[in-house]
Amino acid sequence: MHTKFKYLAITALFLSASSAVCAMDLTKAYDMPDATEMIKKDLFPAAKKYTMPKSCDLNDPKAIARGKYMFHNLNGKKAKKPAPEGLVKFVEKKGKDGKVKKKAKQFGNCVACHNIEGAKGAGNIGPSLESYKANFIDTNARDAQFVYQKIADPRIDNANTHMTVNLTTGLFNEQEICDYTAYVVSDKTKK
Amino acid sequence: MKKVILSLAFLSTMAMLQLNAGEQFTMSDADRAMYKEMLENNPAEIHVEEGGEILEESLGGEEALAKFLGVSEKDLPKYIAGFPRYVKKLGNVVGLDQVMQAMEAEQGKKKTKLKSGKMFSMMAYVKSLANDELVNIDLSEPHEKVAYELGKTTYMTARGGRGLACNSCHSADIVGQVLRTQPLPDLGEVAVAGTWPAYRMTKSSLRTPQRRFQGCMKNALLKVIPIGSKEMIALEVYVATLAQEKNKKISIPGLKR
Ligand code: HEC
Ligand code: HEC
Repeated sequence: MHTKFKYLAITALFLSASSAVCAMDLTKAYDMPDATEMIKKDLFPAAKKYTMPKSCDLNDPKAIARGKYMFHNLNGKKAKKPAPEGLVKFVEKKGKDGKVKKKAKQFGNCVACHNIEGAKGAGNIGPSLESYKANFIDTNARDAQFVYQKIADPRIDNANTHMTVNLTTGLFNEQEICDYTAYVVSDKTKK
Repeated sequence: MKKVILSLAFLSTMAMLQLNAGEQFTMSDADRAMYKEMLENNPAEIHVEEGGEILEESLGGEEALAKFLGVSEKDLPKYIAGFPRYVKKLGNVVGLDQVMQAMEAEQGKKKTKLKSGKMFSMMAYVKSLANDELVNIDLSEPHEKVAYELGKTTYMTARGGRGLACNSCHSADIVGQVLRTQPLPDLGEVAVAGTWPAYRMTKSSLRTPQRRFQGCMKNALLKVIPIGSKEMIALEVYVATLAQEKNKKISIPGLKR
């Protein structure tokens, strides 16, 4: 009885050892890190409608200055000039390790796609926003609510837009969307 | 144990990403002159050569590679032009880097990190073996078809801080338009699959396609996914088919801004 088992065990050992030599299992021999969860967490919500808040003061020069700054800059690390009142270049964020880290604040970098008064190196993916007040607001082709919604979530007006989503992603808050709106609709002719 | 290794890989990924600052500005005249000079004398040739030496010395060269992949040396170039591809004994659609790791494992050698200069050099060399071959993804192979579909989905999925997808900036209706002084490239027309690994002038280093994808993810605030993940490989498969549709050939190392 016992010897029979021993014999079997030895054969099994021998077989598995020899098969390891001629065909090692390589299906786990290389790195294939997971990204599925990362992507899932990185998805963002469906298009959302917004109403421009009453608190939005489109004539506030400080709001216009902040909107302008965010419009022309990518983030606080890249932005050269000091940030205007009410805006910071760096934000403190708690990392996974619990330590507070200084991170560059992200801005709209709207000039990447839009030309506007004073733009440097503007892109042309979006329409030019030059003379926006005269061309679109004064003619009633657009109103501030339209501009606010466009910046907050352009998908409402155009489901296949190439424009960035700014409020629904949580990258900016309502006040910042107001600042952008104030800048876009402001009169830029008198300086 | 496995978890520890994986998280180490993640950490090093993250550390490298911190170094990858912006890449916004287009070529100046001086840059253009340098580009012309480099076209004749691509700095990445050194990496390709070095990759060849590493492969030869530590893994047995092309002969060993062909044997590992189960193809003749004569058919090797064409076979390599089909990567990322399904390799049965690895059980997945994999990149050339993962093939290198599996060869290392089989020979009892230490695994080279996917995101390392040594690996990038080896990949550049191996891919250069397929120079002048057409990009050649086999969509009739069921696993590769699945990878293609996943790649397409990943390419189209808007996400991240600005709600952008690869397609937001690289779709047919937008290529050629200008994003902050940068014309948006048509990824098929510039033959990503045929020109990466490439020397990237703005980074002064050799970069692989997946490393390049990470660059766009970082800039556009998409969560940067790791090299070698299913989705990264799938993205590479999908992007390769864009070049394949235009009958693009392989020409490694490329030279990029
Ligand atoms: C990646 C490209 C891109 C970026 C970045 C971008 N836009 Fe746009 N924008 C567009 C496109 C394209 C349109 C055209 C309409 C559409 O497709 O939604 C548009 C339309 C607009 C309009 C409406 C113009 C009109 O009256 O029809 C406004 C206002 C606007 N953008 C403001 C902004 C602001 C402010 C920012 C930055 C926070 C910004 N955009 C960032 C691409 C962009
Ligand atoms: C916000 C816009 C934007 C998004 C989103 C974006 N890209 Fe890009 N991509 C660019 C620009 C601009 C360039 C050209 C930059 C240059 O020439 O250095 C580029 C270049 C590339 C290149 C190099 C092409 C070549 O061979 O010269 C690859 C590859 C690429 N992108 C892939 C991707 C992938 C994959 C994604 C999604 C994960 C993606 N991009 C998302 C704007 C974008």
